[in-house]
Amino acid sequence: MDSIAELRAGLGGAMDNGDPTMSMADRLCHACVALLDVDGAAISLMLEGSSQGTFGSSDGLSRDLDEFQFTFGEGPCMDALRQGGPVFAEDLADAAETRWPAYVGSALGLGIGALFALPISLANSYVGALDLYRRAPGPLLGNSLLGGLMAADLAALPLLDMISAEAELATSGKDEPAWTQLASLARVEVYQATGMVMAQLGVGPADALARLRAHAFAEGLTASKVAWSIVGRELSLEPDNGRTDPGGRHS
Amino acid sequence: MSTDREHEITRAFVSIANSMADGTDVVDLLSGLTSDCARLLDIASAGLLLADGHGVLHVLAASSERTRDLEIFQLQRDEGPCLDCFHTGQQVSVDDLSQETDRWPQFVAAATAAGFAAVHALPMRLRGTTLGALNLFGDTAGALEADDLDLAQALAHVASIALVTDKATSDQGTINKQLQAALTSRVAIEQAKGVLAQLGRLDMDQAFAVLRRYARDHNARLSDVAHQLVSRTLAAEQLLDRSMTRPSPEIRSKA
Repeated sequence: MDSIAELRAGLGGAMDNGDPTMSMADRLCHACVALLDVDGAAISLMLEGSSQGTFGSSDGLSRDLDEFQFTFGEGPCMDALRQGGPVFAEDLADAAETRWPAYVGSALGLGIGALFALPISLANSYVGALDLYRRAPGPLLGNSLLGGLMAADLAALPLLDMISAEAELATSGKDEPAWTQLASLARVEVYQATGMVMAQLGVGPADALARLRAHAFAEGLTASKVAWSIVGRELSLEPDNGRTDPGGRHS
Repeated sequence: MSTDREHEITRAFVSIANSMADGTDVVDLLSGLTSDCARLLDIASAGLLLADGHGVLHVLAASSERTRDLEIFQLQRDEGPCLDCFHTGQQVSVDDLSQETDRWPQFVAAATAAGFAAVHALPMRLRGTTLGALNLFGDTAGALEADDLDLAQALAHVASIALVTDKATSDQGTINKQLQAALTSRVAIEQAKGVLAQLGRLDMDQAFAVLRRYARDHNARLSDVAHQLVSRTLAAEQLLDRSMTRPSPEIRSKA
């Protein structure tokens, strides 16, 4: 029980106050390597209409492995998104592993024995995956699996910043711990406001949530406060060259 | 009065039982459970926490906004009777919160500020696993009648069975999947309410009524309609046009 709390604190802490020269996504990947039974980690973003590709990683090798998936157009990360669930390849050298012939060849060439892809969801849609790599084959077990799932939850935050049109403002939202930020995005008024923003802007749920969060950062408000203003019809987000009108429209 | 209440209690059980038979939405079912509790028992409101596949709790239903806020507060601060109930799998009954400031300093302050004086947290258990907790909040200090507690526990128990009875379930993995699906549905339903509220200039309760009526009229699950709406495979106008041209559900159901 204690080690689960430690995992939670360790992963969340890496996002909140790790090496400031690294991006939040890179820090999370480093924390995965430090805390879980894996040798590498990378986060990829795959959102319709947004950039696709590797977005954070623990080292160059993990980044290369992740990018191979986009080069070959196949891999566990893409399958995890399509299926909306984790995809595990416990032994890449096993002859029975035939899912991604081109990708597996390259991964084996780089000395990787096992890989695990965990989907990352935002506002109910899958937008990316956390890919974990290990040199030795074998399953991802116990707390390493649980920690991987927690890290995939946390990875939603940097992905949201990335999707947001005002990603550069994201740095101003750092005073709230990562787990608290996630909890506040899971509030019912945020879901309702996300639906209203979807209708206002004609965008999907992940984009709508990113816009809501960007507006909160820009105004120095919590996501919940902004959501209340939207639900209460005091605020309406408008399409404006893909950016949120800083003042919003007050009716 | 007491006959009315018995009638209401019977209706509550029947409605849960029916939901098992016709595959009613879990979110619908649990929202109904919290409002049934608030109406039938000597409490002010009720809330319901459910754990996802990683054992992380979420607020799935609440009979009032202040209850929802207080449940979320407990999850955020990781402190409170509802969490203790979930972690131990045992009832946690507090007749007078003001006596418990040492036990839950942050929760007692927040609950008092929200106007609550008593809380009773009941585990939702199934086959040795605690799925979540049903939480009853009272405005005044004082014990809840043993009968009332039993009734609430029985409702929670039947709801637990209904939660996972959708398909034959024997393993924890399947139960987790169903709970995860319930949590996912709730997000889609709230988003769908937002879409309808915006396009139809409705408040959230009206938007929910439109969503529910469309689902019932089409014999579809609430969550399926919500998912279609959010993924834009179903146009919001289809639901809104209907709602404007049709009489209200109260009139129709009596006709």
